[in-house]
Amino acid sequence: MNSKERIEWKKCNNCGFLQYPTHLRCLKCKSKDFILVETSSVCNLLSYTILNAPPAEFRNQKSLALGIVEFENGIRALGQISSKEDLEIGMKLKPIYKKICENLDGSEVYTHIFEPI
Amino acid sequence: MREVAIIGVGHTKFGRLNDKSLLDLLCEASLEAIEDSNTSNTDFDSVYVASMLAETLNHMTGVASALVDRIGLLPAAADHIKNGPASGGSAIKNAFYAIASGACELVLVSGAEKMTHITLPGGVTSAVATMTHHNAERIHGASLPSFAGLLTRSYMEKYNVPKEWITSIAVKNHRNGLNNPYAHFQKEITLKKAMESPIIADPLQLYDICPISDGAAAIVMCDANIAKKYCDSPILITGVGQATDTHIIYEREDVTVLNALRICSKQAYDMAKKTPNDIDVFEAHDAFTILEAIQSEDIGFFKKGEGAKAAHEGLTEIGGKIPINPSGGLKARGHPLGATGVAQVIELVWQLRGEAGKRQVADADTGITCNFGGFGNNIVSILVERM
Ligand SMILES: CC(C)(COP(=O)(O)OP(=O)(O)OC[C@H]1O[C@@H](n2cnc3c(N)ncnc32)[C@H](O)[C@@H]1OP(=O)(O)O)[C@@H](O)C(=O)NCCC(=O)NCCS
Ligand SMILES: [Zn+2]
Repeated sequence: MNSKERIEWKKCNNCGFLQYPTHLRCLKCKSKDFILVETSSVCNLLSYTILNAPPAEFRNQKSLALGIVEFENGIRALGQISSKEDLEIGMKLKPIYKKICENLDGSEVYTHIFEPI
Repeated sequence: MREVAIIGVGHTKFGRLNDKSLLDLLCEASLEAIEDSNTSNTDFDSVYVASMLAETLNHMTGVASALVDRIGLLPAAADHIKNGPASGGSAIKNAFYAIASGACELVLVSGAEKMTHITLPGGVTSAVATMTHHNAERIHGASLPSFAGLLTRSYMEKYNVPKEWITSIAVKNHRNGLNNPYAHFQKEITLKKAMESPIIADPLQLYDICPISDGAAAIVMCDANIAKKYCDSPILITGVGQATDTHIIYEREDVTVLNALRICSKQAYDMAKKTPNDIDVFEAHDAFTILEAIQSEDIGFFKKGEGAKAAHEGLTEIGGKIPINPSGGLKARGHPLGATGVAQVIELVWQLRGEAGKRQVADADTGITCNFGGFGNNIVSILVERM
């Protein structure tokens, strides 16, 4: 698995706060000292929606299932869910890395989606 | 700091306005505000123009420079303020401080958006979604309506709220909008019809969501010491607040809490020496029904989890405990992004002047707004009072 395929967050070495990796300074204490933390392989569905009016990038799909998930160590993520049926808050999912759409300029977008287990 | 007054307002019709450009709309609202404030022969010090998507949807930059030239306000300073759908609120905040500091005396704020000409399916939603976090949200297909759907489900689950209570907000706002001649929709809807409308971002339906609109709104503001020279019933801006929250919505400990609103409304209340109990009317940013519910909690009117219930019980109707969105809100008045924050303040001006006609809130002396730039990550509140 290359680094893009892993879901990683940053943990602040000063105050311990866990956060999305684009933060250059800690959201809580402004420290720049972080370690990278990886997720476990299973996550919990916190909330979901079926979007029937997708943005133009998803022009080939009538609808998208989107969820917010939380892994055991507290890392959260947002992504599409592979199924639109029988979704339920609290259900278990696992991330898969794949191509999800082509931008309007034709470039391909790869990221995680979540699959019910 | 000097006191700051609003002495004139201008508001175009909101809706699908096919033969008007962004600049046409800005000019129309601005000239009306100038006329309303009796400043037609007066020089302005500064002009703040609010629009979110002029480059993307109208292929236009330099909007503020173009406006002052067209409406004969040269050589006034002119800035284009962009803070997503809170661009209007941000522009008013900047104008407020320009006057309060003593730097400017007479200032025009004009906000507009021209959106309905975009025919690409999902094109507007995609343009609006450029304000979300690129990697964490946007590339997955997340859009503002999808955030609202996710939030609605979390709220219903956490506080055990039936969908009908949330959707009753749309019914109320459509009823209020019926009496607003500038509103995008001037029609009543029933709860039954709303609950049967197409699902857009499950559980949110078409009638829970603001439309895509064209329109403009403008106000003239000045040093309160000279306000009576121009106008018999100036309205004072006595409180202003703005605060931010995490760009990524799911980094918030509890997505149902709008921390930026708690902070910016407290700033506005403290500056004005008021509390939520002193407020007679609230213009909320109900781009989605759920937002009005949670804003009414975090701005201090209802306990957490009780905003939708309060709407369902009629407490937020005109004549209720705290009337919310007598204008019809974003739901019925429409949501031309850059115009919205200005239109909210204009509704309060009409209410406080006693000019709101059939949607008048009795004895309205004090009002507050919530204007959302992003999904709760950049919020502006403006508090106004009768002079
Ligand atoms: C909800 C949404 C997806 C609907 O788009 P749409 O399906 O293209 O809707 P249309 O414009 O085709 O309208 C279909 C019909 O429903 C009506 N309608 C549209 N939106 C409506 C709304 N929000 N409430 C009530 N009626 C609405 C229209 O008047 C139209 O009726 P008509 O056929 O009698 O003229 C779109 O309005 C939207 O994306 N809104 C959100 C905009 C947004 O995100 N703003 C930024 C938020 S911060
Ligand atoms: Zn820290």
